[in-house]
Amino acid sequence: MNPFFQYMHDNSGHLLSLTWGHLIMVISGLGLALIVGIPLGVICARNARLATIILTLANVIQVIPTLALLALLMMFLGLGFKTIVVGLFFYSLLPIIRNTFVGLKEVDSAISEAGKGLGMSYWQLLMKVQLPLSLPFLMAGFRVAAVIAIGVATLAPLFGGDGLGREIYSGLNLRNNLKIYAGAIPAAVLALLADILLGRLQEKLKNGPVRSKPIRTL
Amino acid sequence: MKRMSLAIIVLLLGTLVLSACSNEGNSASGTISIGTQTYSEPKILAEMYKALIEQNTEVNVKIVADLAASPIVIQAMKSNDIQMATLYTGEIFNNHFEVEATKDRNEVLKQAQEGFDKTFDFKWFDPYGFENTYAFTVRKELADQYYLSTVSDLKEYAKTLKLGVDTTWLERDNDGYRAFTKFYDFEFGEKFPMEISLVYQAVADNKVDVVLAYTTDPGIKEFNLQTLTDDKQFFPPYDASPVIKNETLKKYPELNEVINTLVGKIDAETMTSLNYEVDVNKRSPHEVAVQFLKSNGLLK
Repeated sequence: MNPFFQYMHDNSGHLLSLTWGHLIMVISGLGLALIVGIPLGVICARNARLATIILTLANVIQVIPTLALLALLMMFLGLGFKTIVVGLFFYSLLPIIRNTFVGLKEVDSAISEAGKGLGMSYWQLLMKVQLPLSLPFLMAGFRVAAVIAIGVATLAPLFGGDGLGREIYSGLNLRNNLKIYAGAIPAAVLALLADILLGRLQEKLKNGPVRSKPIRTL
Repeated sequence: MKRMSLAIIVLLLGTLVLSACSNEGNSASGTISIGTQTYSEPKILAEMYKALIEQNTEVNVKIVADLAASPIVIQAMKSNDIQMATLYTGEIFNNHFEVEATKDRNEVLKQAQEGFDKTFDFKWFDPYGFENTYAFTVRKELADQYYLSTVSDLKEYAKTLKLGVDTTWLERDNDGYRAFTKFYDFEFGEKFPMEISLVYQAVADNKVDVVLAYTTDPGIKEFNLQTLTDDKQFFPPYDASPVIKNETLKKYPELNEVINTLVGKIDAETMTSLNYEVDVNKRSPHEVAVQFLKSNGLLK
């Protein structure tokens, strides 16, 4: 058998647990970013001045090199899981905020007016009309964020975290290419899978609940 | 949508709670954590201490491997995520506290011991007995071709040479690249920062011409490289010592004696050969550490 598959097979338990740890970090970071990012995107769509401030701040965070951001976070949060998750959260914020914002802005004002005409409150309009219509945009941002997060999470071991990066660094140190592949390939596969699955979801959202209105893509 | 966000919240809370639980137990229940940088040397030493401490005391040891760099290790000690590590005396030039400029080995050690005690409340033990400093290193053929034996010899050719270094060195203030160019009065043509474990292969494969090696790294021997003498003495001494939080020592005073068992016991040649076993012969740091301790009668 190919030595790579042999290695993967012999260490499957270990590699699976690393993959699982990787996923947990990514999902937690992305989840936090969704919880915080979507409301921020909504605020941006409502208030142009706040939009400039929020988007600039998110941009600034995005510009900080990953290692520096994680090192800074470590000062406050200590080693391990929390630091990585918060780092992933910060990195995922910008695409989510921006795409929620753009998605809401793209909603045809005639539709919003119609909703208002039907007597919908702002909140109803937002939840029942505007957000569902902008979902494909939001999903596009989420997709970008997910792929970035899976990559960034490979740096976790440098700050006491776990995940597939553990195998990559171990391979780097021991100059064992098999180990590097065994960490890097599953990470790449995760990123590809996330991209494909979220891409499908995005298509579905585009064609599904809001078929009545053609939606321009970014 | 609602269900999805609910699921995410539940998952999140779940993982946060789990992680909080797993982080708690460390320092409370007789366990200390030893942090290591990314290369093999501190990992081997951490394995030695794990074996020694667990044989001689009731304390359990956890190893937190692959931390990005020494400032991260120190930060992690400050925040009590780890309690112990191997550090090098040249570390004092990393802007942790005011230091006097000197290259004297004993003076630098003294400043490290006093400075870290006063500033961070760490105990900096006497050195293991080896230094792991930086050395400019080239392929043997290149050294022969250009008659290189000291760093100053590089001056004439530096503009045409490619330099490979670890990622932090270019930015280090006192003993980093900028200070170096002023001190030796020359610059290299191109610079490539990379993970330290990659520099040896890079120079052997002709990808770069000069690399800044760690002197106890077996890559020097493995790839038949030649180190150049730091003739003007730019690099500060980098004697390795075990370092531990005073607070931890107070809690487990028995650690004092255990930690001292390796002080003065490992010279540069020994450390290089232990690193060689791990990096080149691909043995695990644990196995190499235990074998060393057993052959020296330190472990039953």
